[in-house]
Amino acid sequence: MIARRRLLTATAALATVPLSRPHAQRKTTLRWWYHFDDPKASPADLVRDFEAANPDIKIEAENIPWGGGADYDTRLYTSLIAGNGPDAAMVKLQNLPRLLEMEALAPLDNWLDAWSGRADISDDFWRLHRAADGKRYYLPLQYVVLYLYVRQDWLAKAGLPMPQDFAGFLAAGKAMTGADRWGFGLRGGAGGHDFWGSFVLGGGAEMKKGGLNSEAGRAANRWFIDLHRTQHITPPSAPTDGFAQVINNMKAGRTAMTIHHVGSANDMQAALGDAITAVPVPRGPQGKGWTSFGDGSSAVFAASKNKEAAFKWISWLSTGENNAAFNKLSGQLPVTSSALKTWTVQPKRFIDASAASMPLANVLPSLPQTGDFTRTVWPQTTQKALLGEITPDAMMETFEKLFFA
Amino acid sequence: MREAATPYALLGPALAATALLVLFPAAQTVWTSFHQLILFRPKSQPFVGLDNYVWALGDPVFWQSLTRSLLWVVASVGLQFTLGFITALLLHRRFAWRGIARALVVVPWALPSVIIGLIWTWMLDFNLGLINTLGVRLGLLDAPVAFMSQPGTALAAVILAVVWQGFPFFAVTLLAGLQGIPAELYEAASIDGAGPLSRFVHVTLPGLAGVIATALLLRMIWVANSLDLILVMTGGGPGTATQTLPLHAFLTAWSGGDFGHGSALAVLLSLLLLGVVVAYVARSKPA
Amino acid sequence: MKRLGNIAAQTAMAAILAFALLPWLWMLLSSLRPDADLTANPVRLMPTGLTLANHIELLRRTSFAENLRDSLIVATGAVTLGLALALPAAYAFSRYRFPGRGALRITFLVVNMFPVVLLILPLFLLMRRLGLIDTYFALIGGHATFTLPFAIWLLTSYVDSIPASLDEAAAIDGATLPQIVIHVILPLALPGVVAVATYLFIASWNEYLFALMLGGRDVRTVTVALQLFIGENAIQWGLLMAAGSLVALPATMLFLLAQRRLAGGLTGGAVKG
Repeated sequence: MIARRRLLTATAALATVPLSRPHAQRKTTLRWWYHFDDPKASPADLVRDFEAANPDIKIEAENIPWGGGADYDTRLYTSLIAGNGPDAAMVKLQNLPRLLEMEALAPLDNWLDAWSGRADISDDFWRLHRAADGKRYYLPLQYVVLYLYVRQDWLAKAGLPMPQDFAGFLAAGKAMTGADRWGFGLRGGAGGHDFWGSFVLGGGAEMKKGGLNSEAGRAANRWFIDLHRTQHITPPSAPTDGFAQVINNMKAGRTAMTIHHVGSANDMQAALGDAITAVPVPRGPQGKGWTSFGDGSSAVFAASKNKEAAFKWISWLSTGENNAAFNKLSGQLPVTSSALKTWTVQPKRFIDASAASMPLANVLPSLPQTGDFTRTVWPQTTQKALLGEITPDAMMETFEKLFFA
Repeated sequence: MREAATPYALLGPALAATALLVLFPAAQTVWTSFHQLILFRPKSQPFVGLDNYVWALGDPVFWQSLTRSLLWVVASVGLQFTLGFITALLLHRRFAWRGIARALVVVPWALPSVIIGLIWTWMLDFNLGLINTLGVRLGLLDAPVAFMSQPGTALAAVILAVVWQGFPFFAVTLLAGLQGIPAELYEAASIDGAGPLSRFVHVTLPGLAGVIATALLLRMIWVANSLDLILVMTGGGPGTATQTLPLHAFLTAWSGGDFGHGSALAVLLSLLLLGVVVAYVARSKPA
Repeated sequence: MKRLGNIAAQTAMAAILAFALLPWLWMLLSSLRPDADLTANPVRLMPTGLTLANHIELLRRTSFAENLRDSLIVATGAVTLGLALALPAAYAFSRYRFPGRGALRITFLVVNMFPVVLLILPLFLLMRRLGLIDTYFALIGGHATFTLPFAIWLLTSYVDSIPASLDEAAAIDGATLPQIVIHVILPLALPGVVAVATYLFIASWNEYLFALMLGGRDVRTVTVALQLFIGENAIQWGLLMAAGSLVALPATMLFLLAQRRLAGGLTGGAVKG
């Protein structure tokens, strides 16, 4: 069916250059954008079930390449500006301020107040999802929370307890560093700001004016950079290691600890079996802790002509079993309490570590600079500090200036 | 009358397509470069004169990126050309497996940049890379090298990858040029007693001059503008060690959301390239 | 002596070919190995087993086969349109001296100088206005136009090497301009045309940003599909390697066929004046 439609489009395009694409007349057609990590995963079954329950709505699901986030965002922003955006899409908290500035989002408050599924999603999520103006534009869809992977076999051999604070973490990292293995797989490449957050925002820096460049903030950052520069518990490739490298090194037994989330739990289990476990990231000297909360949320766009139908679809995806089915495809965790109760997709100890990490869960503040920070400024500046080209203090000054100048 | 209009008629379709799909958007980008345009504030676009240019030229990152771009272009095009030319000369000779060699040599060129970036990053990986493994086992390296994490080796790595990707282009283009040189010229030179080197200098090089100059110029422009391989392999890092000018423009516009600044950078890059082209055309003006 | 030279040349060719193919072969080998081999420590050079599982998954459970078809349609279209636009233009530049010739030649170079990443936003708005988003036409037109400078300049230098006396002879025999281009120029410039066609095909085949922005649900090329294998939290190495080992084949096969034709085109006894 799809193949035939594509062929028709192709023939028409080549022959006559159509000026507009035909739209289905009787049904409401919703364009919805998503991204999954697994190209074999298809939401076709979910779409079919929804359409069966809502015969007046047709979902056109489009899989947009993630491309480190950049491609997905580029495509989304461009389409919104051109007036060709989808009706609804998967979005991230990090982009909320930019989308709000564009006035691209439709507030969901009225529908949410009337929505029966709301109570099945815990208050933790609603707290993190509220926008700066107090309204709600995002609906929680999936989540992950970062925890610390630990090689428990090596740790036991060293006779050390599970690291709970920075001191314990450093001791464990040193003890497990050996001839050609390293205590901690640090991620200096793109996405490593999550690692930095746990040690620097958890260690005394604060995301507010003067809070990054404070004495406590600088000290925490120096300690973080020193893991690589003076403690040498990280591989020499750490400054540019990205997601693939830290995960592969852990699976290959080249590193003893790293930070990630349940998305990789099954892979780790397959590669290392019971030798690997997970715990919440260590807490800083003041007892504070910080770990990154990774969201996948749904939004309805202001330019959509079918907002109500769009909300029907996104709220259906965040309801009980539908949400469980969705997250079996996405590889992340469901946001509904009912689905979480019976969740067995990953081994229990990794689910438990995720739950135990929720009290530390945080997101970087919703500022228009956040996207540029995570994608460009953080890796560039941190890599220079890890290589010794700039001091750790200069690094914090750069961040302070970006966010609060 | 009809005769005079012929060249314009022949050029018409190509010009129309170019005007619509390149010149028109490029003009819009030039316009944007005189305005403040933040991607997520599309409604407010105040005119700012030359502010974006003043910002670009006053930013040390611009000059660092420019220097790096020069190094990147000269090294990659130079190596691509040298290797490609040698390959073309070898493929021009008669030997049993010439056909299959000609086809297989285009393989690196026929791969998308994302694949090339991933395969080279992986082969150069510190922990699990083929090159470090072989290097250590064969005794060429004392210890594994974190190629992608040191400024010098990271730039060398992306240059290696782009040379690998690009040399088949020169091989194919120059081979076609070689085949266009009539065999009679070689025969005549041989009869005059010219040796292989003399034939190369007096027949091959003059016969190829036009194609070489064109291919070099076009490739230089292409490499100067290309950023996909760098983006996949290093994203400009470590630090800004592999950040070239187009990558700087791209990150400013799309990651920073600042199209005013990004457009100014793009216009500056185009002007620089234009300077090179004008110099080239001025020198090679037909007599 | 000559024999020795031949052996040296073939050895050099073999070395270059090894350089060209080794990364690709490593990728092909990786795609045929069990997943556990890929992260083995220390690195395993020899596979523990061979499997076609990745290739089968790729073709059965992803849209890769459809994406290959889309890429073929777009690349073939771009070659056809590109040559149709570039050949007459190159002929005009080579054979005519007319006011504005130099300026126009430079114009074609200049348009090549603009970084495409900054043209994407205005282009998207334009294509949106024309209603061409997510059509083959948008991608074919875009790819053909962006490679035009290259095609025109290169073809001009190939046409330049064909003596104008041949055109004149044909014109005296009563041939029209299109006939001259098709029956005299095209066969003689065939090596150049094949080189340019190869360039156009590969440029379109490998293009990503344009295909990402202007494609969509209906038209999705392999470069865009490949990016779907690199997710937010997972990279599908096995599938990527399988796709990478396959995606180089169409262009290589086409060139294998084209370069055989190429020998037949070299019959002209043209002498450069």
